[in-house]
Amino acid sequence: MKVALTGNPNSGKTTLFNTITGKIEHVGNWPGVTVEKKEGKIKKELNRSGEDIVAVDLPGAYSMSPYTSEESVTSEFILTENPDVIINIVDSTNLARSMFLTTQLLELGIPVVVALNKSDMNDKKETKIDVDRLSEKLNCPVVKTVATKSSGNGLEQLISEAAKLGSSKHKQQGPRILGASKPQNKDEFEAADKRRYDFVNKVKNEVEIRKISSEMQTRQDAVDRIVANKWLGIPIFVAVIWLVFSISQAWLGPWLADAFVGLIDAFYGLVEGLLGGSANPFLSSLLLDGIIGGVGAVVGFLPLIMVLFFCLALLEDCGYMARVAMVMDRFFKKIGLSGKSIIPMIISTGCAIPGIMATRTIKDERQRRTTAMLSPFMPCGAKLPIIALFAGLFFGDKGWVGASMYLLAIVVIIFSGLIIKKITKDDSSSSYFIMELPEYRWPSIKRATISMLSRAKAFIIKAGTIILVCNAIVHILQTFNWQLQAVAENAADTSILASIASPVAIILAPLGFGLWQFAASAVTGFIAKENVVGTLAVTFAVTNFIDVEEYALVGGAGEVSVTFGITAVAALSYLVFNLFTPPCFAAIGAMNAEMESPKWLWGGIAFQFGMGYTLAFIVYQVGTLVTTGSLGTGFMGGLIAVSIMVSIVVYLMYKKPSEVVVKNLSEAV
Amino acid sequence: MNITDIIVIVVIALIIGLALNKLIKDKKLGKKCSGCPYAGACTTCSSDNIENIR
Repeated sequence: MKVALTGNPNSGKTTLFNTITGKIEHVGNWPGVTVEKKEGKIKKELNRSGEDIVAVDLPGAYSMSPYTSEESVTSEFILTENPDVIINIVDSTNLARSMFLTTQLLELGIPVVVALNKSDMNDKKETKIDVDRLSEKLNCPVVKTVATKSSGNGLEQLISEAAKLGSSKHKQQGPRILGASKPQNKDEFEAADKRRYDFVNKVKNEVEIRKISSEMQTRQDAVDRIVANKWLGIPIFVAVIWLVFSISQAWLGPWLADAFVGLIDAFYGLVEGLLGGSANPFLSSLLLDGIIGGVGAVVGFLPLIMVLFFCLALLEDCGYMARVAMVMDRFFKKIGLSGKSIIPMIISTGCAIPGIMATRTIKDERQRRTTAMLSPFMPCGAKLPIIALFAGLFFGDKGWVGASMYLLAIVVIIFSGLIIKKITKDDSSSSYFIMELPEYRWPSIKRATISMLSRAKAFIIKAGTIILVCNAIVHILQTFNWQLQAVAENAADTSILASIASPVAIILAPLGFGLWQFAASAVTGFIAKENVVGTLAVTFAVTNFIDVEEYALVGGAGEVSVTFGITAVAALSYLVFNLFTPPCFAAIGAMNAEMESPKWLWGGIAFQFGMGYTLAFIVYQVGTLVTTGSLGTGFMGGLIAVSIMVSIVVYLMYKKPSEVVVKNLSEAV
Repeated sequence: MNITDIIVIVVIALIIGLALNKLIKDKKLGKKCSGCPYAGACTTCSSDNIENIR
């Protein structure tokens, strides 16, 4: 039996899906988190029917007439895949808005069960809904549910009702709002919608008693007046992000990491002890430094990443991040985007791929492509080890490094959006951003922990697969020369890896890190960004980045810069370069899928590379001038490269539209 | 080549073999990111099915 879960955005469909199937799909306290359908078998303890029931979680939709592509997924599935039952998840705190879709679903002939979700929030606000009367009016079973609760949540009854209807092959009778004839033109559709709204409002007035009317000012509104305030919103956001990065990268994170790294060290020591001196030096080094050391250097940052994702999950869950979208909307409007573009960008802080995919909620093609191009600028989970590494080694674990990179990413996105707006000659008036703000609620520790653990698992699997293989290859390439002879100790400059990476290093010299080790790390970073840390560990033969005591003993950050051969300013430049150059290949694949235009894709990659290179050049050269009084190495070469890139961008920005375009436009007009 | 070398070669081959096996398996399942909890859902998307959706 197949059960479709459908409802308005942010009504709790995926939370309910996770609870009834035991799956861990990403949830968020804002609309538009789910953009693809997902399937899962309903747990045996909830399904007493004896028949296997598969639940299909569908993206949120306000009506069966799709407006965005993810709404099409929902209507297409229901109309073509013929599910046995539809479970319509209704946000019981917003009955009138949710029931428009319900009335449409009831007319399809497929059995419908209504789940009055978020009932606990209604109880708190003393809003009463007469379930029996609502069931009678809609002519379908109605069950109160609280999908966030693990017991006493009404889900067993919901599944039981769904199973009963599914096996009875009952044909759903709708409430007969529109009569026999179907609307044929725009006026008839508008009239039909009006009749539907009238019916919904009438039913709502009959079944719902609210103690707090929606017009009344609540404590939530008072908080919003501060948090989403035009002037206070930004400083509050900056403070929140600084706090999150401080907790994860300066306070709690390093403390946990220290203990965790101790375990990795102990394992390294154990294997080293087992090998003794009897193993071949190359094999011993490949296992210890290439595999255990390289992977260990990346995995050592796991606690910092887990703490950060835990904090971000709490912020998402309490409803704050949706306010951030509102606050940022006015800036995004100025660059031809809207607050809707913020959601993919916030999702990109976890991973750029779902962030890029979330752009399909944006109807406007130019906005969607621009957002897909700019979302990877947000520091994703894979970039966090790079931030943590350089913040720890060069800036004494300061939380401001991570926070400033996050905020710099937003500034870069806004600036880039402005450039793209000019290049694409977009002079359309900015679209309105209408978003239903979720209510504030106490964040769930359980949900945040699940989110954190699923990301931690992903990080470990990634480290044990792609990072491990890359580190082994890097280690082999730096051990041998082109004659396949092992290079002498301290002569890695003659290795295959060095000879491949050195030409790239010349291009990077004006940015302050013209060493082949950094070039090799930046290149392997395109396979997966975590590789940057792993490759640095292998090429510099450093097995432990977290415990900086050994560096501190020999003179602190100054000594580290000697080991790495770069200054603190160059380290910051390297950080900026890795954050703002194109993302990993998988994310580029997602960009390709969402942009649907080779011109946009290659233009986007070139733009990202130019942006990363230019920013790193500015950071290094200006930083070196300020700290030492003279310009950094390779200034002239870098200036020429940056000038060429900037000239191309300026030319594209002020280029007159071609005659063909003008002709097409005038024809269109 | 002594017995320790042989054991180390076997261990390295096993580790890399397992890692590659997982990567190949994920690739066959259509996942682009090994380990990602959302890879099954988020990378099933191709330009073709977006076109269908629209």
